[in-house]
Amino acid sequence: MSSSLLAVVNEVRTNKGQPSVEALASSLRWREDLGFESLDLAELTVRIEEKFGVDVFADGIVTTVGEVVRKIEKAGRT
Amino acid sequence: MAQKAQSEELSKDARQPMSKNILITGVSQGLGLAIARAVLAEGCTVSGVSRRLSGHYAALQEKHGSRARFHAFDLSRTDDIKTELFDKFLPLETPLHGLVNNAAVAYDDLVSNLDGARLRALFEVNVFAPMVITKQAIRSMLLHRVAGSLVHISSVSVHTGYKGLAMYASTKGALEAFSKNTAREWGERGIRSNCVVAGFMETAMSGTLTPAQKEKIYQRTALKRATAPGSVAAAVCYLLGEGAASVTGQNLVVDSGTI
Ligand SMILES: NC(=O)c1ccc[n+]([C@@H]2O[C@H](COP(=O)([O-])OP(=O)(O)OC[C@H]3O[C@@H](n4cnc5c(N)ncnc54)[C@H](OP(=O)(O)O)[C@@H]3O)[C@@H](O)[C@H]2O)c1
Repeated sequence: MSSSLLAVVNEVRTNKGQPSVEALASSLRWREDLGFESLDLAELTVRIEEKFGVDVFADGIVTTVGEVVRKIEKAGRT
Repeated sequence: MAQKAQSEELSKDARQPMSKNILITGVSQGLGLAIARAVLAEGCTVSGVSRRLSGHYAALQEKHGSRARFHAFDLSRTDDIKTELFDKFLPLETPLHGLVNNAAVAYDDLVSNLDGARLRALFEVNVFAPMVITKQAIRSMLLHRVAGSLVHISSVSVHTGYKGLAMYASTKGALEAFSKNTAREWGERGIRSNCVVAGFMETAMSGTLTPAQKEKIYQRTALKRATAPGSVAAAVCYLLGEGAASVTGQNLVVDSGTI
């Protein structure tokens, strides 16, 4: 799962002209550490929904990679 | 993975101007039918929605085959728009290049008679449905990296004021504000949002007006006649197309020149 989430994250980063990251630590923060702005997070949401069938930002603010991973796991699409 | 590759291929193909996929609501009759006809004539695919499949739209399907798609859906069911309209008819893997929020209902009465239930039903179809559909359309455009075009049909009543149209006009005013702010929010992704502000047209919606009332309305226009649906449809096609690539956050007024 984390490798396909990594692919999604890198797709968004590539689209905004940022270099790929090699690994995703749970503690990484989307905005501060990965440089995602609100529209990037919107794109990330849609890409995660397409791949894992879950809208991770639907029920509140998400700060870290770990929170997204938990929501994907909870939805049982690992 | 195979599905992904397929959808990428589809989106590459659909990015060609000839096969743009345009969602149009309210295609069974009136202006929506005229817009569907004009968009099909431009070579695009129309994904049409209304509660019923009319004989007129069926004739378009006969003529254009698979380019004239149709899905019966009641837009007052706004909570079901994702699952019943998008997941079934326009799932995320299907690229969408344009949206025309055209379907709407009228509510003609004095403010002093305003009925809460009717008002809520009016806003459900005229405001909430277009907003939720816009949400889903933008999500599709983000996924496929499509610089899409959103067009909302507004009404001259927002700007002029007519007796009996306060509730209806306020739904269109809401749509205009929504469009302007959507344009601002999504411009950096190349997504454009505009309104076409239509004048009075001879459709079922204005069918309850008496000839005398209509004449009075037409006398308030420079051209002294009804607005032609074909002219409004041409304005919609312009906003959907590449010719309008630098146009966003605008209201394009097509109304026989209301004075
Ligand atoms: N006519 C005018 O003078 C005038 C002036 C300015 C602006 N406009 C605007 O132009 C647009 C088109 O109006 P029109 O004159 O063509 O009206 P119309 O002839 O009454 O057509 C309305 C369309 O919307 C569809 N629709 C209505 N309620 C719906 C629902 N709950 N779910 C799904 N589809 C629904 C109808 O299809 P079904 O009944 O099959 O569902 C029909 O195809 C509207 O936005 C209207 O506000 C009209």
